[in-house]
Amino acid sequence: MKRLVYADNAATTRMSRRAIDAMTSFLSEEYANPSQPYSFARTSKKALLESRQVIADCIGAYPEEIYFTSCGTESDNWVIHEATQRKFDIVTSSIEHHAILHPCACAETTGLKVTYLPVDSKGLVDVYELDKSIVHTRTLVSIMMANNEIGTVQPIKELCKIAHSKGAIFHTDAVQAIGHIPVNVHDLGVDLLSASAHKFNGPKGIGFLYVKNGLNISPFIYGGGQEKGLRSGTENVASIVGMATALKENFENADKNTNQLRILEKILIDSLRSSGLDFIRNGTNNIPGNISISFKDADGEMMLHRLDLMGISVSTGSACDSQNTQISHVIKAISLDSRYAKGTIRISLGVNNSEDDVFYITSALNKIICE
Amino acid sequence: MNKNTCIACGQEILDKDTIGINKKLISDNVKNYYCITCLADYLGCEVQDIYDKIEEFKEEGCKLFV
Repeated sequence: MKRLVYADNAATTRMSRRAIDAMTSFLSEEYANPSQPYSFARTSKKALLESRQVIADCIGAYPEEIYFTSCGTESDNWVIHEATQRKFDIVTSSIEHHAILHPCACAETTGLKVTYLPVDSKGLVDVYELDKSIVHTRTLVSIMMANNEIGTVQPIKELCKIAHSKGAIFHTDAVQAIGHIPVNVHDLGVDLLSASAHKFNGPKGIGFLYVKNGLNISPFIYGGGQEKGLRSGTENVASIVGMATALKENFENADKNTNQLRILEKILIDSLRSSGLDFIRNGTNNIPGNISISFKDADGEMMLHRLDLMGISVSTGSACDSQNTQISHVIKAISLDSRYAKGTIRISLGVNNSEDDVFYITSALNKIICE
Repeated sequence: MNKNTCIACGQEILDKDTIGINKKLISDNVKNYYCITCLADYLGCEVQDIYDKIEEFKEEGCKLFV
């Protein structure tokens, strides 16, 4: 049987056993609709309440500030939709996920002004540029906490402070960050924050939006009035329980996981350096385990498929678009030297990876690039 | 017209798929090709893995294969 080394944890993660176990009873025995008033619904209602509290505790929020959604993309879309409803200007960065960029493009078609801030070669938003770009208080600023492709963690507290000094609302897409680095929403000062469970060993199809108390936002989905009437639809209780369990587990093991991932990162980079390969590691202050590497005169898409044939799953920063190689918007935004840009791959290690996995990856890369 | 033959076994290569998959998995600039069997052997994988890749590239609409 072919060996499988999964190193694409920024795309999705393996579900934690504890989260699966916590979900099971809500998929079989405890299936009641939590909105119903009969006693059979008490357990699912209680599970919702507890899960909301657990999630709030993990990010330093109040439980009433957590709104369950179907994913990070929905949370992001909700935020941009809110800005559109309010007819706010939007200031975002050029390296956001498409869950922000595409709704922003849609907002532009309605006549709203959207500013896309540039980033430096490490993927950092320029604080001065942000300050300059907010011209009135009716502005939403949306800057991602950690970039999915290159792992760069932004100085959110500082950026948020600038936005607030201009009277703007601040949102952060924290899909890549939650469950991987410490996040305290009240300390950061953010008004809105998006998260997705499957990025931190929870189930797919569930996420949440943090909305700071006092920020009155409009409903995103109308119907039965769930989530205080803002996001209707029968709650996905099992997945919400799985999300809370996975987040709590990551929260409790944060230091251990971070140390393990930093060690694996170092082994990987040291091993590639000692092989004499010519490469650049992209980003700075990276999210643990997220390693974006650009090899000189290499082909990222070819590397991805060759690694795949060896049982290794990674992502690439460039892909063939039926005829031409398309460099990702993030790699373009950091103005990477063209000799390296096409040879970009993202290895995103997770808590299930071992040193042996890392050596297998570096040995495979050596074989592919040096042939 | 130049005849393409497998650089490992000498088998004649006539089809677009074989040339396309060589370009995808070795290099865009490759001028000498392996037949599917020798390519699998060279890459250390199963022949079926190569056929699976070809199908996936076709589904994506890659012009090298259609």
